[in-house]
Amino acid sequence: MSAPRDYEGIRRSAFGSFVTWAVVAAVLIWAAADPELELSRLAESGPRIVEFLGRMVPPDLSVLSVAWASTAETLRIAILGTVGCIVLSIGFGILGAQNLTPAWVHVPVKALLAVIRGIPLILVAMLMVGAVGLGALPGILAIAFHATGMLAKFYSEAIESIAPEPVEALESAGASFVQRMRFGAWPQIAPDILRDTLFRFEMNLRESLILGIVGAGGIGFYIQTYVRSFQYDKVATLALVVIAIIVMIELVNNALRRRLR
Amino acid sequence: MDAVALKSISFAYQATTAAALSVPDLRIPQGQRVALIGASGAGKSTLMRLLDGRLRGWQGRARVLDQELDPTRRPPRAWRRQVGFIFQSYALVERLDLHANVLNGRLGHISPWASLTGRFSPRDHQIAHAALAEVGLADLAGRRVDRLSGGQRQRVAIARCLAQEPAMILADEPISSLDPETAATVLQLLQAIVRQRGATLILSSHQPQLIAPHVDRFIAMDAGRIVFDGRPADLDEERLAAIYKGASDVRAA
Ligand SMILES: Nc1ncnc2c1ncn2[C@@H]1O[C@H](COP(=O)(O)OP(=O)(O)OP(=O)(O)O)[C@@H](O)[C@H]1O
Ligand SMILES: [Mg+2]
Repeated sequence: MSAPRDYEGIRRSAFGSFVTWAVVAAVLIWAAADPELELSRLAESGPRIVEFLGRMVPPDLSVLSVAWASTAETLRIAILGTVGCIVLSIGFGILGAQNLTPAWVHVPVKALLAVIRGIPLILVAMLMVGAVGLGALPGILAIAFHATGMLAKFYSEAIESIAPEPVEALESAGASFVQRMRFGAWPQIAPDILRDTLFRFEMNLRESLILGIVGAGGIGFYIQTYVRSFQYDKVATLALVVIAIIVMIELVNNALRRRLR
Repeated sequence: MDAVALKSISFAYQATTAAALSVPDLRIPQGQRVALIGASGAGKSTLMRLLDGRLRGWQGRARVLDQELDPTRRPPRAWRRQVGFIFQSYALVERLDLHANVLNGRLGHISPWASLTGRFSPRDHQIAHAALAEVGLADLAGRRVDRLSGGQRQRVAIARCLAQEPAMILADEPISSLDPETAATVLQLLQAIVRQRGATLILSSHQPQLIAPHVDRFIAMDAGRIVFDGRPADLDEERLAAIYKGASDVRAA
């Protein structure tokens, strides 16, 4: 009885996937058909690219001190921004957990977090610079705001994964509310919370490298300055420092993450 | 002195559903070992939750270990730590090791704020260690619970309950997921413990034959009511069959 209906379902889904691919193909053709986009230029500019790269070597090491100082500022922005987003995420993470709050609280909170995630960091940073002026402060605020969209969601999900039985067992054993949280709930999620926080810190650090471009502090400001004035040998030095930092963070993070299970 | 005295108890999970509990009168003397039996959904777990002070919204009078229970609020810590509960699903913190889980049984004995650092007194550690040794798991003290078998978890749950030093132990289907041999070990263990401490034991089970040698009394439930209450010897095959068929009063059968 159900065989013909299944067959119908397969045909319909085959047709559906044909439509999907046709739409994808149409979009790709439309995107590439822009008259101002001359792909041939990519081929012609070979020599230009070689010359551009040539001007990056040897890197001008005289900017190393600038690089370290501005990197330190970027690091500070990332650290304080992460502290800010942790504080916000604890609040919103609890409000957004469906096993803790009624639907009229956690549904709008989750929607708000999705909206925050949807706003690009660079846009938030530009608005913050407009609001509080140039420097590290708007960078910190932008990171704290932007990162909360993701971190609070992770915190909510961790809280939602708490099994109620072990917590109830501690209630039965005479544990107070704080004790139940500390010994029944927290150990269930601590590794996840720490891993998520570390992951977000790593992202914050990488994303804060570009904040200087809009005047929100850090190494990005100098990269942009030297690019604009065609001092590519200095840009090269800064780029190397950035790469070194990212590799270092990655290594430290991997080592830490392996211990969180 | 009665460990449990219930009078005119009734309870329903929702106002519209049938009563999950309806117990006109029930007394259990201190030190008695009682088996709760009855078909799935008969109300065994509900009754045990009531005795553990975790059920809300019931009617009637319930006196457990000299404490009048209040259907609207959680009983005080000092009372809760006297009633040990062994959960059917073990209810252990999977990411903590055995010793830490057993230490959690001590929480009712220590100051809520002093414990926040996670530091327990040497005496608490000693008690936890002894409890683990009593269930034969001292060697695994540092292993995480998520790497244990079901039978081992059950013993950890028992050890946590022991560390609590309760005057009454409520065990909800403590042997349901154990093989016959482990089940016998666990039953002997529970029995030895309550005898040694003079504690009251109430355990629920779907295996009456297996637990009969370990208890003084059988209470059978159906649809929230007590349909049989007597010695293990009086529970013959005919009556057992009647209990699981849902007879309203097995004594008359
Ligand atoms: N949290 C709950 N909400 C609503 N109804 C419930 C809840 N817990 C139990 N019930 C209902 O109450 C009745 C008694 O359930 P209870 O868990 O006490 O039975 P039980 O005798 O322990 O069964 P089992 O042998 O399967 O563990 C059942 O009809 C069950 O469906
Ligand atoms: Mg049950």
